[in-house]
Amino acid sequence: MKGDYIAQFQQVDYKDIETIKKFLNPHGKIMPRRRTGLSAKAQRSLSEAVKRARFMALLPYIVR
Amino acid sequence: MAETAQAALASTQAPAVSKTPVYEVGFHLVPTVGEDGLGAVVEKIRKMLGDAEIIKESYPVKMTLSYVIERATQGKREKYSESYFGWIKFATEREALPQLQATLQAMHEVMRFLVTETTREDLTAQRRAVFSSDRLEGKTLEKPTSMPEKPSEVSEAELDKSIEALTG
Repeated sequence: MKGDYIAQFQQVDYKDIETIKKFLNPHGKIMPRRRTGLSAKAQRSLSEAVKRARFMALLPYIVR
Repeated sequence: MAETAQAALASTQAPAVSKTPVYEVGFHLVPTVGEDGLGAVVEKIRKMLGDAEIIKESYPVKMTLSYVIERATQGKREKYSESYFGWIKFATEREALPQLQATLQAMHEVMRFLVTETTREDLTAQRRAVFSSDRLEGKTLEKPTSMPEKPSEVSEAELDKSIEALTG
């Protein structure tokens, strides 16, 4: 399962783009919790990592 | 008695070392620095950290940015679509951060940076080799050998019997 790693560590590194991309939809938006299946804590960590990665231009803000 | 006092001192000192917060600074260096100038800039950033304990670091590597970063310097707008991205994980006291951030902000080689609080452990997922099946890789699949059908010998009587059964 794709959430295994996050479920184990409960933290996401903003540089780990490969993992983060699994939780984004084709538009680059964060998938909802009901779709990622993450715990509330892990989802918050994911959300923060995505925003950091976007600021650092590792991920785009929008994908058209 | 002295031993117990030393042990007590060590036990009080050990958590103090581990309690030092761990931070990570990720930075984008402008591509105009060039491969040759990277070492000097990284050394400059390391010096900024002062007596902080450097836990891990990644030497800047060239990457394409997800979007164009614009920066206004000396009345001119500079646009960058690629950069050298690197990071340093270090342990230091919280009070040292504002000065580090101010210095990084002032460095014209640093296009963008981010200081985050992190843990000593590596958070990046360990990649595993994924095979499409459990079978050993590299082994050629062999076509199952089918036994050639041998024409079985049928006696005349049996043949007549079966023909009669079919014709009724």
